[in-house]
Amino acid sequence: MNTTVEVLGFASELSWQLWAVQYFFLIGISTAAFFLSLPGMVWRLPQWRGVSRRALLVALVCGLTAPVALLADLHQPGRFLNFYLHSNFGSWMAWGAYFIPLYLLGLLLYAWLSLRPLMAALAERGERPAAFYRTLAYGGHDNIGAIRAAAIVAALGAVLVLLYTGMETMVVRARPLWHTPLLPVLLAVTAFAGGLGMTGLFEALAGKTRSAPLLNRWQELSQWASLATLSAWTVLVLTGSSAAANETLGAMRGSSGWLLTIAALFATTVLALWLSRTRRDALIAPALLALLGAWLVRWVIFLGGQSIPKLGATSHAYFLSLTADNLLSIMGTAGLCLALYIALTSLVPWDDPAEARGDQS
Amino acid sequence: MSAHPDLSRRAFFMTLPAVTAGLAVPAMAAEPAGPHWAMLVDTRRCIACQACTIGCAMENASPEGRFRTVVATYAVTTETGQAGLAVVPRLCNHCEQPPCIPVCPVGATFKRKDGIVVVDGERCVGCAYCVQACPYDARFINHRTGKADKCTFCSHRVEAGLLPACVETCVGGARIFGDINNPDSEISRQLKAAEGKTRVLKPEAGTKPRVYYIGLEEQLSGRVDGASAANMMWQPGHQGA
Ligand code: SF4
Ligand code: SF4
Repeated sequence: MNTTVEVLGFASELSWQLWAVQYFFLIGISTAAFFLSLPGMVWRLPQWRGVSRRALLVALVCGLTAPVALLADLHQPGRFLNFYLHSNFGSWMAWGAYFIPLYLLGLLLYAWLSLRPLMAALAERGERPAAFYRTLAYGGHDNIGAIRAAAIVAALGAVLVLLYTGMETMVVRARPLWHTPLLPVLLAVTAFAGGLGMTGLFEALAGKTRSAPLLNRWQELSQWASLATLSAWTVLVLTGSSAAANETLGAMRGSSGWLLTIAALFATTVLALWLSRTRRDALIAPALLALLGAWLVRWVIFLGGQSIPKLGATSHAYFLSLTADNLLSIMGTAGLCLALYIALTSLVPWDDPAEARGDQS
Repeated sequence: MSAHPDLSRRAFFMTLPAVTAGLAVPAMAAEPAGPHWAMLVDTRRCIACQACTIGCAMENASPEGRFRTVVATYAVTTETGQAGLAVVPRLCNHCEQPPCIPVCPVGATFKRKDGIVVVDGERCVGCAYCVQACPYDARFINHRTGKADKCTFCSHRVEAGLLPACVETCVGGARIFGDINNPDSEISRQLKAAEGKTRVLKPEAGTKPRVYYIGLEEQLSGRVDGASAANMMWQPGHQGA
């Protein structure tokens, strides 16, 4: 056979849409931000105090928004109870239905225990609504033992969430871009870059630029790790000896769209690395680039991965077209994050100096 | 058989007494294994008319733009410059090792005793994980029902003693449906006659498909290296995009 033209092909639609990208993006950032909250809130390292508290805010905002995006990607969201009534534990997705609540409950408990002394201090000072703060503080003890225990539960949940999100996609043999052992690592590493980026962005929003050098030091490390994993993943996907690698290469060969996408991915990572390395005092630019990089990785993997045809030659367009659903997923998740940010920052003054009392104990 | 496409139907009806008897006395342990449904597609007899595509869409009320079976069509030029048409009628392969089943988080998709892979519409949450896992793009999310949708070998028709709609409508008699557990069935005989010359789609996926092909070029049995005219064509729901 010399040349083949598919005159009648049938492209199937991308069944995991932008909602899924948003979910993987937000839950990854949330888990990473939770880990960034540990040095200040559990280990009480002085230079981390402010950053860790902001990271906790990031973990809460993104962690509470992510499941909404996940539910929205289900075509029968009203049936989510079936995940518990008919769990098929041979499926990673079924485990996810247990890991997400474990993580979120652990995170909420950890956040509440960590914020109790601050609530009590606010109530004492008569900050409005004092009664609300008093109730929420529930005595206001700074119980480091309980905080540690809750942090362990949340950490276990976070690790399991990172594990299942990576494995869930990695096990799909039919998707050559997903079926590589490096995928869970790539998702976890870029989640950390995103978590640092979002924490930096929240710091900038709060006008706290002093944390920039600390965040940029870690951002530089995470961008090096992202670059290394991204390179290894690209090499593995394109040159692996598997049939999957051949399929991927075949589909990407000569596709300027793919070349551009891969180039954009590397360019964003290199730029974020360069900025965090050379502009230690800058917060917004490295943060935004890191977020863009983490989002692009998920966009390319999840949507681009679905665009490679399993049979035939008809590829499925995956470019970001602003359909009503795509717009809704971006605006919806951004809007919910914003609403949660406003609600949480209005209720809890995350920079109240009263916190220092608790932290020094 | 080749001159009598109807034989596949006749052979099918001959199996019916066994089916009904099997249904009537399910508790008899010593009973031989029931039917195991499969399909043989003779691509040499397919004229790419898409009657099966339409027949299936009508029978199963497929949503606009989504199909349970299709006939992918290729213009092929050989090394000697000869041009011709090649076809790959596609549907769910009712795989013996179906990757779509273990991934389902709620166990909504399963393989019946008679080999047909189905979706329990009452349980499906529409997560589309099975759509991702199927190596053959044989599944899709039906936006009208919000559930996974796929070929069922027309199980509702088979249970009523009829042939799948695509088999019934095939103009060239290219689709032969029957029980591979019965050595005398038309499909078993044809498979035996063509032994060593049949193919399945993507054998490397290890799924053990139960849809077999005669006359299928190896180059067309998976992802095809070639140009696609489809992106230049009208696609339902994407016009003007
Ligand atoms: S062809 Fe796809 S949907 Fe059908 S049984 Fe095989 S894996 Fe499942
Ligand atoms: S779409 Fe339905 S059948 Fe498919 S994996 Fe999800 S719940 Fe199972």
